[in-house]
Amino acid sequence: MEKEFIKKTEHSVTLNVTAGKIDSFRELEKTTGTVRVYENGLIGVAGCLGEPDEEKLTEQAKEALGFGIPYPCRPEGALELEKHQDEEIIPIPAFIPTMQAFLDRLGELCPRFALSHKIRLEDDRTEYRNSAGRRLVSTGRSISVELLAQDRGSGNLFDTFLVWGGDHFDADELLSYFKMQYDAFCTPADLAPGRYPVVAQAESLYGSFMQHFVGDLYAAGASLLSGKLGEKVFSDKLTIRDDMNPSTACGTCFFDAEGCVAEDCRPVFVKNGVLTGLVTTKKTAEQYGLPNLGSADAPYDGVPGIGFHRLYPEPTAQSLKDLVPGKAVLAVVSSGGDATPDGHFAAPVQMAYLLEDGVLKGRLPQLNISGDFFGMFGKDYLGAVHNDPVEGEMLIAVKMDVDKI
Amino acid sequence: MIQFRDGFYADIRIEDRSRTVISYKAGALEEMRNRRERQAFLRVYDGNLWYYASVTDVDHLQKTLDGLYAAASENPRILGDPVVRRFEKNRDSISNFADCSVRDVPLKEKQALLLSYLPLLEEDSCVALPEGHYLDRNSQFRFLSSLGADIAYDYQTCGLAFSFSMAEGGKKFSGHWQKGGTRFDDLQGLTEAIRGAVREQTYFLRNSVPVEAGKYPVVLSPEAAGVFAHESFGHKSESDFMLSDESMKDEWQLGKAVGSPILSIAECGSVPGSGFVPYDDEGTKARRNYLIKNGVLAGRLHSAATAAALDEGLTGNARAIDCTFEPIVRMTTTYIEGGGLSFDELIAPIEKGYYIKTIRHGSGMSTFTIAPALAYEIADGKLGRPVQISVITGSVFETLGLIDGLTKDVELLSFVTGGCGKMEQMGLPVGFGGPYVRISSMNVQ
Repeated sequence: MEKEFIKKTEHSVTLNVTAGKIDSFRELEKTTGTVRVYENGLIGVAGCLGEPDEEKLTEQAKEALGFGIPYPCRPEGALELEKHQDEEIIPIPAFIPTMQAFLDRLGELCPRFALSHKIRLEDDRTEYRNSAGRRLVSTGRSISVELLAQDRGSGNLFDTFLVWGGDHFDADELLSYFKMQYDAFCTPADLAPGRYPVVAQAESLYGSFMQHFVGDLYAAGASLLSGKLGEKVFSDKLTIRDDMNPSTACGTCFFDAEGCVAEDCRPVFVKNGVLTGLVTTKKTAEQYGLPNLGSADAPYDGVPGIGFHRLYPEPTAQSLKDLVPGKAVLAVVSSGGDATPDGHFAAPVQMAYLLEDGVLKGRLPQLNISGDFFGMFGKDYLGAVHNDPVEGEMLIAVKMDVDKI
Repeated sequence: MIQFRDGFYADIRIEDRSRTVISYKAGALEEMRNRRERQAFLRVYDGNLWYYASVTDVDHLQKTLDGLYAAASENPRILGDPVVRRFEKNRDSISNFADCSVRDVPLKEKQALLLSYLPLLEEDSCVALPEGHYLDRNSQFRFLSSLGADIAYDYQTCGLAFSFSMAEGGKKFSGHWQKGGTRFDDLQGLTEAIRGAVREQTYFLRNSVPVEAGKYPVVLSPEAAGVFAHESFGHKSESDFMLSDESMKDEWQLGKAVGSPILSIAECGSVPGSGFVPYDDEGTKARRNYLIKNGVLAGRLHSAATAAALDEGLTGNARAIDCTFEPIVRMTTTYIEGGGLSFDELIAPIEKGYYIKTIRHGSGMSTFTIAPALAYEIADGKLGRPVQISVITGSVFETLGLIDGLTKDVELLSFVTGGCGKMEQMGLPVGFGGPYVRISSMNVQ
């Protein structure tokens, strides 16, 4: 019988902001434990909330073998690796005064904005061990500022986001980043309907298509990509990874739920336009003869399933200006888009900026954007760039049809 | 026995939650687990700041509570605070599911029920990846406050969810069907309903045609109408969005005309189903609240803090997804009230339009979006071919004003997957529904 043991501890302190003022302080500490056992091609899982009793969980996991859940895989082989990102960002006693001072300065810089929502410090620790000799430990700390901005008098629930995340806090840098957005927000801009580069976070344009990268669907022939593994189907410029690398994905655990560690901690699904992998677990990879890239996820008491952390399109340009010279649309809030079964994508863009030579010029009216799956990843894909100063966040650019709502 | 201190407001919410998940994929057992969790969420308020803690050690709550008291500042006038003055002091015990708890149904029986339906997914050769899930939840809630509130109630949902990815001759479609209920017996006798849903969706795969984008009259099913009500106006009625910007009070004055005179949208936590919340997570008793009554803004949803800030009454809408989070203003069961037409009468005047039968998801701000799953043409007053639509969108207020027909029959729906997402709290169980709703013009893509 083979065995895996996983212990996770999540600690967070979250401040709620209403009308630019902090009105609550929430501290959360959550520990979970997991034991998985493997025998005769079956898996048994047991988990607990709170400090794990490994012996007790092991007995429960052995009992769960009786459910007869097939999982004909062996845990990963011997490897000892630790990655720690645990430098203190802000001492907890200083968190409220530091962030209230920041909010006060932000309020002065952006007087039209009524600000609300959350500011959060997180530190997590994940430990994985298995009977094959693998022992992995990952710790990560991060801070995130997630503010909803209402343009006073607009009557809207919110008009835009001011969002940032990283592993250090530099108030001046962040204020400058938010002020740049505020100035553009306050400047009306317009754009004639047509075909333009649309710049956005990868998830907002590609999220609707991620199901086509799922191994089960691929193997069943129900994915738009079925049969194309190893083939060049997209633009040469397109390399897509799942980002589990703490240097860009702050606070992220560098291994997956089955203790797999991808090269550079970023499993590669598309490399220079060639489909190189699908989203799998060890089981589905084995079952369908697909490469296991190492991006599984699992509840603390459940069988591993597919997971996806954060899209990391490999950068192709040094700056937004290099990526999209001339006029482009920066889509900041795009909620509700989806694709038809044959891959036609359409989405409303509730908040967008006009870009000219990579510089924010003004706020555009609400837009519709549309394209199709192979075009958006293929001939219409323009590339990706780091969204400085948001640590690790990538923006992609895709040529799309743009119309006003 | 919890000892509350004078000079502070405090409350404690405890949930004992049991969840079952059984999953099959392509005929093989993928998951079978029964999780039992006990968690508590504690709040202390000193009139200036709220202090929260979430714990799994529910046997030592006093220690956690004392820690929060230590962080807060004693306020001798706390009972006069406008937020604290609004809190109800209900004492009640509700047990709707003691005689039919899903905790008492053996795991093997749940598994056998799911297995009995799985072959229905494979009756057509185009189904490439059949998946089936049995899901249930039984929760025992307890709420205590320093004002004397002491409430216990139970909550239960159970259901089946099926998905069946289909592929044939280059055509792809992801089929879905689910049934949510509150008692295990609700899940018996579903064979014909499931078979019919699979047949309809295999027909859709083979025969659906791309929509010609444009503006058309649209008829929403009760499912789509419920999502529309929830997304287009329900979220706008959550008053926490009104606290930061003073001008919101002028923009959202009660009595303002916001929609067609035939439109009424209501919200109520006492409707049985996935949105059942007899007492919210601040101990406020559920009541029916009109958001829109005959086209006029009639009310909004509140926690104690938002009710105090806007000087309005409580509504029973302070909810958290679990004891990890603080309650915020959320919906329960949101629905459009019925009108006077039959379905045939509703579609009869439409020369060319679309009927949205089921949906994949919806979202809404000033513009709302619904991504349909199954949709059909309406031609010369009759249902026609199945059509592929990526999204229907529109300006919320413009669309609310364009509602020009409602059926008599109203259907309220419960769910066991998905749920409502708001910022960090995703997957809150809610209910929604309505009649069939006709909108004279919507943007269809």
